[in-house]
Amino acid sequence: MGAAAAAAAAVRVLVVDDSPVDRRVVERLLRTHCGDGSGDAGAAPFHVTAVDSGKKAMELLGLEGRRRKQLSPSAAADADEQAVDIVLTDYCMPEMTGYDLLKAIKALGSPNSIPVVVMSSENEPQRISRCLTAGAEDFILKPLKINDVQRLRKCSGARPKAATGDRDNDDDDRCSNTVISSSRTKLQPSDHTAKKVATPEQKTSHLAGLAMVMNASSLEVTHYFQFIFQFIFKFILIAYAVLCLSQLLHRWSNGSFLSLWCA
Amino acid sequence: MAAALTSQLHALVNNMFATGLLDDQFQQLQMLQDFSAPDFVSEVVTLFCDDGERIIGELARELDKPNVDFDRVDSFAHQLKGSSASVGAQKVKNTCIQFREFCQQRSRDGCLKTLDLVRTEFYDLRNKFQAMLQLEQQIQACYPKH
Repeated sequence: MGAAAAAAAAVRVLVVDDSPVDRRVVERLLRTHCGDGSGDAGAAPFHVTAVDSGKKAMELLGLEGRRRKQLSPSAAADADEQAVDIVLTDYCMPEMTGYDLLKAIKALGSPNSIPVVVMSSENEPQRISRCLTAGAEDFILKPLKINDVQRLRKCSGARPKAATGDRDNDDDDRCSNTVISSSRTKLQPSDHTAKKVATPEQKTSHLAGLAMVMNASSLEVTHYFQFIFQFIFKFILIAYAVLCLSQLLHRWSNGSFLSLWCA
Repeated sequence: MAAALTSQLHALVNNMFATGLLDDQFQQLQMLQDFSAPDFVSEVVTLFCDDGERIIGELARELDKPNVDFDRVDSFAHQLKGSSASVGAQKVKNTCIQFREFCQQRSRDGCLKTLDLVRTEFYDLRNKFQAMLQLEQQIQACYPKH
């Protein structure tokens, strides 16, 4: 019973990366830092499935979706070995990028959309912003570190759980994106009532998502505001200079150039 | 015997760190190895060497074409950079960064020169990795399993 409960509580991660090296490293990192010695005793272990392309990930997720339709929620929770709680995908992959995969998952429009975390070796603010806007729960820079595992664990709790309540303890650690939460609210207000997704939780997730977005893109936001302020400041300076110049020209044309210095 | 081999192994790895071949990411990999995955570092290193050789071959083929697809070349360079970063292959990673700059500039000569450098550094690292793995096997052989 204990082993079954432990297995049921495992966080099922689908790792998508075309690099065999990265797949192996991430898999090992997740399996190692599940609770022992990581300062997070009692945390659910990670059950990792790794695929090498977005296409295979979609096949796996599509199969999982078809199975869920055929099974009752309780049976699906017990029997579906390919069920996925969170997708961790590389951004740059041939044919289907991680961004394409993210959009495809979010385009399903399910209220129980699987959380997706994107990872990349490129620290590009535009790329980060793009992924977060598309609905990614988080954006992690490669190579992954130990503290990234904790971020992943928090993001895995972002998906609303309809039935068993196995993730009740993770509800406080949701890191859902503000944009995701807003869009879900706009698209499925009635579903939230039916799915027992409590409004206070969504509000908490809004704040958590806002904090996460600000944290993840704080550099970009800072640069953006700096750019705006600098632009406004320069515009004011130029406008003042033009005004002064026009005044000078006006007085000069009136033949009162010398009077400028007396004025 | 085992002590001498262990000493050789430590000297080799320390030298790889000291010369900039490896960075602290390799130490992270070593920390991930334990009794539940005693061959983890060996597996990752082997994967890196095989994958790296494949990518370098692809790069050479792409740059040999009359019309070079620099986006494709950049993609391969990015792959090698990524896997180098994941194993802590610092020199190879930094050279891949230079490589990508030449790809952005659409400079075939720059890419070819950098490919030679990448190849040299990669094979140097691969040889040292192979020596490291051989030493580890010899050390393990000194402690027969019961």
